[in-house]
Amino acid sequence: MTSETPRRRPRGRGRRRLSRAGRLLAALLLVGGLYTAFAPGLAAQDTPLSPTAAEGKALYDVSCITCHGRNAQGVEGRGPSLIGVGEAAVEFQVGTGRMPMARQEAQAPDKPPLWEGEELERNTAALAAYIQELGGGPEMPPGTNLSAGGDPGIGGELYRINCSSCHAYSGGGGALSSGAYAPGLGEATDREIWAAMVSGPQNMPVFGDNQLTPQEKADVIAFINYLQDDGDPGGVFTLGRLGPSTEGVAIFLVGITALLFASLWIAGKS
Amino acid sequence: MSAQESLETEHGPRPGTTLEPAAGTAEIDINAPGVTRFDLVREGARRDGIEIVVYEPRVEPGSRLERRTERSVALLFALAGLAGAAFIVAYIWWPWEYPGTELNAFHLQRFYTPVLGVTLGLALFLLGAAIITWVKKLLPHEVAIEQRHDGPSAEEDQRITAATLTNVVDESGIMRRPLLKGAIALGALPLAVIAAAPIIGGLIRDPHRPLPEMEAAGLDLSPQDHTGWHPALNDGNPVRLVHENGTPIRPADVAVAGQVTVFPGIPRGTTNYYADSPALLIHLRQEHADELRGQLYELNEGSMYGNYVAYSKICTHAGCPPSLYEQQTNMLLCPCHQSQFEILNNARPVFGPATRSLAMLPLALDDEGYFVAGTVNDAGELVGSDFKVPVGPSYWER
Amino acid sequence: MSTTTEPGPRAKAERPSRLAHAGRNADERLQAASPLRTLLNKVFPDHWSFLLGEVALWSFVVLLLTGTFLTLFFDPSMEHIVYEGSYTALRGVEMSAAYASTLHISFDVRGGLFIRQMHHWAALLFLAAIVVHLLRIFFTGAFRKPREMNWVIGVLLFWLAFLLGFTGYSLPDDALSGTGLRIAHAIMLAVPVIGTWLASSLFDGPFPGEVIIFRVYIAHVFILPLLTLGLIGAHLALVFKQKHTQWAGPGRTNTNVVGERMVPRYAAKMVAFFLVVFATIALLAGLFQINPVWLFGPYKAAVVSVASQPDWYVMFLEGSTRLFPAWETRFSLFGEHFTLSPLFWPGVVLPGVLTVLMLAYPFLEQRITKDNRIHNLLQRPRDVPVRTGLGAMAVTFFVILTISGANDVVAKSFDISLNAMTWAGRIGLIILPPLAYYITHRVCLGLQQHDREVLAHGVETGIIKRMPDGRFVEVHQPLGTDLEYTGWAVPKKMNRLGALAPAVRGFFVPIERPAAPPEVAPPAPNGHDDTGTGEHTRTDVERR
Repeated sequence: MTSETPRRRPRGRGRRRLSRAGRLLAALLLVGGLYTAFAPGLAAQDTPLSPTAAEGKALYDVSCITCHGRNAQGVEGRGPSLIGVGEAAVEFQVGTGRMPMARQEAQAPDKPPLWEGEELERNTAALAAYIQELGGGPEMPPGTNLSAGGDPGIGGELYRINCSSCHAYSGGGGALSSGAYAPGLGEATDREIWAAMVSGPQNMPVFGDNQLTPQEKADVIAFINYLQDDGDPGGVFTLGRLGPSTEGVAIFLVGITALLFASLWIAGKS
Repeated sequence: MSAQESLETEHGPRPGTTLEPAAGTAEIDINAPGVTRFDLVREGARRDGIEIVVYEPRVEPGSRLERRTERSVALLFALAGLAGAAFIVAYIWWPWEYPGTELNAFHLQRFYTPVLGVTLGLALFLLGAAIITWVKKLLPHEVAIEQRHDGPSAEEDQRITAATLTNVVDESGIMRRPLLKGAIALGALPLAVIAAAPIIGGLIRDPHRPLPEMEAAGLDLSPQDHTGWHPALNDGNPVRLVHENGTPIRPADVAVAGQVTVFPGIPRGTTNYYADSPALLIHLRQEHADELRGQLYELNEGSMYGNYVAYSKICTHAGCPPSLYEQQTNMLLCPCHQSQFEILNNARPVFGPATRSLAMLPLALDDEGYFVAGTVNDAGELVGSDFKVPVGPSYWER
Repeated sequence: MSTTTEPGPRAKAERPSRLAHAGRNADERLQAASPLRTLLNKVFPDHWSFLLGEVALWSFVVLLLTGTFLTLFFDPSMEHIVYEGSYTALRGVEMSAAYASTLHISFDVRGGLFIRQMHHWAALLFLAAIVVHLLRIFFTGAFRKPREMNWVIGVLLFWLAFLLGFTGYSLPDDALSGTGLRIAHAIMLAVPVIGTWLASSLFDGPFPGEVIIFRVYIAHVFILPLLTLGLIGAHLALVFKQKHTQWAGPGRTNTNVVGERMVPRYAAKMVAFFLVVFATIALLAGLFQINPVWLFGPYKAAVVSVASQPDWYVMFLEGSTRLFPAWETRFSLFGEHFTLSPLFWPGVVLPGVLTVLMLAYPFLEQRITKDNRIHNLLQRPRDVPVRTGLGAMAVTFFVILTISGANDVVAKSFDISLNAMTWAGRIGLIILPPLAYYITHRVCLGLQQHDREVLAHGVETGIIKRMPDGRFVEVHQPLGTDLEYTGWAVPKKMNRLGALAPAVRGFFVPIERPAAPPEVAPPAPNGHDDTGTGEHTRTDVERR
């Protein structure tokens, strides 16, 4: 299970509208960045930021500051402090479009990110650098293939004891309390899975490197990749891999319905 | 197909649409000359209380419609055979072995089961369709009426049977001979018990019989009243918390807002042999831990270690693992029946059918800095401790 | 068949005689001629709704066939082994032999996965057909005297099928089936007084022990199939003995059966239907993946997945358990403490009450209606509004419980709060069944009234006439004078009267054309009426 191809899948929903929004944002960012650069007293860091982080701060002050507050200190009732969440959290939350959130609710759903393509990567990296330099926290390994050397057998066991209770055996995700849910993993990339494990986004618990070593994380990711690719040897239709509930619907919608028509045909006089 | 034609030509007149008046209701002499085969059929039906009212050909024999129908039936049969042959070919020659690795490459194997299903399904369906078409388009249309004979038997028969039965009873004299009655009961009862004894007796197992490990430790403790965390299973020492792979756990192994499933570190501790033992070790955030500490049940006093808490992973409702840990809302959700437990309030159930809080596993550290199930007593000694209440679903004598 | 032998004159002369010789030989030993004829001549009424039970029968046959195949490879043992088969993601994982052999069937036996999926789909179909068949029997009153005993057997068969399904679901010892067994164990514990003894005896000690898979296996492949076969035999024998019910209609009375004889038509149709049911199962098994156990992993007490559901026929109990409020009763007797588990009511009492109600229903209805007559004619559901309403109530109850059994899947799929789903189920369970009763009852009465209207005033023709005084009236085509309702469908459209071409054609052509009745009037002298049968209808209704 060591495919060397990059596992990131392009997200292409509403591309055009987004790119327009992106251009607008870029313009805003430029203005904001210029303002930040020239406005005195705003840069309150003790240590100077690296250029990437400075770029990230500019983005932050435009897109994130409303909820997470100045210098990522958090705003009571709106958004938590980002001190110590690390670059992994930024990569996950911004990269999957969960942040910025549309509104406060039980779940931060993934949606098309603010930017796309290289712009997304660059801006996410900038924001990540800013948050990382601001308060430290879990870091991300380089590269897109993080399952290299992972054993899906071991990963499966770790997955079932740690992950399946929320994300389901088949990686389909599931409902949590009061409207929250664990998302499906069918589209998740290696980096997203890794980032989620180390940062514990939303209600997901944190799986630090002491608990799941980097090797074990690779195992888990190898297993999830296996789940995504196992090819469903049992048929063309997987019924969402949801198990007995959709199977029960299918037996009535397909099986019983087909046989009702057959009965009508057989017993029909003509 | 040709059989039908021969029926027409060889064996007398083919039954028409309208049958002879009173035909099928009156007995006919089957030896009379000129009796056709269909007359025999109808006479047979009559003897069974059946009247064949309508018996008419679907299609004019020899007509173009008949030939066309014949062809379509034949075609269906042929297609069924073709599909069946396709099934056999696919079964033998289609690559079927699961590739195992390199899954994202295109594999014909992926379609083995679908191909089998479609070919077999088609073969069977076409065969069925051929028969149905044959029956509906080629076989004569018929309406037969069979008389029912509901209700009780003739009174005469009832009386005769009753007499036969009562005769048996009377002859045996059971009614008159109470001694025999008693003796039979006495003699037969043990036999009935003998029949039931090995089944029931062999199956019955005292739920309170201690596990062999407990017996070896010299404790007469029912399996319901302890789990694998009982120190007696570890020579009296506190049992270590271990991962599924058996490695012990240090506090630093669990990140803040992290959780880990822990098992008793005894022989077979991570297997289903101790199916009630698994627990969920959670590292709470400081403010959450403070909140929990502030409202610990008396029973749970001293069971936390720092900001760490461990709850039984066996639901108090039906025994599933309520392990959907929500680290921000601090809920544990059970995926089987949706009971929700408040972590910061002793895992009290706040929603769903569960009635009891999840048991808290007393946590402490041993000399090597690993987590164990135990408490530190007033004298400062580490004492091993099991869950303080029975874990898992309720039962009658709990 | 006829193509294999050459239809020459010699063949024609010899074949019957050889057959006749064989027949005589057999009859000398068995005296079968007369009983065989009776069997061949047996008349069966023809209606699509009478085939539902057959679906169940044929899926059971498929279950026996595929199940026998599976036993050749399945190892019902809980011995721990390390998997080394083809499914990479489980290689090196410790598991029970039962689970490993299920994986072996799925990946390392040629066509094994296909047969396994056929077995599982056939099981789902078996239960679905039983339930649909049961509803048909209920709503048409086919359980009335003299068929109460067969209703009872049918209800028992449902529970046997239920147990067969559940035991089969438990056998692979995957994580999902183990979770199911764990809940079953908890439900056993919830039985008052003997609960712990019951559970401990069946599992031979604490859960899960080391024998349960083997015991479940013996139940699944021997005890339960044997009982099911026996009861199916009794079920069919009673249908044979008591003869099938039929719909009211021309020529059909309470004392006859109008239909087709066993041979050739009925038997051929049965064979064809078996093939069609088998085909449906094969197509389902080939196209729809079912119970992918390799995704679930081996059962471990600490392992679980969100969206853990039983198969659909158990889901109503799952739902009742999910919806039931957290009620646990604790009390003391003689200084001892006792507990009634929250599982007791939804897991033990509810199925018990449902079974008793179902078993008792024919007798209850008989007592309440004081109707002790023999009924061989079916009732249209609209003609018995109370029973139909009760049935609708029961169906609503069952459906709500079943949906609630998967309420987390519904919540996730449709983005609804899980807690809201639970509350909707709880409230719905109380409010909707009575509502269903009320609505169904009203609908039945409305349909009845419409039937009577058509009989009294005729069919709506769609022709609007303007009266001299300016009013508009619709012209009705009367059906006849003084027609009484006979429990049979009333024609309500002109095309049903033959006045217009059928509005629907082909497949959807009306199923029940009036059957030709026995002629009462002397037949036409030439006696070649090829076209139809309609004229005789009326006289016969009157005769009835």
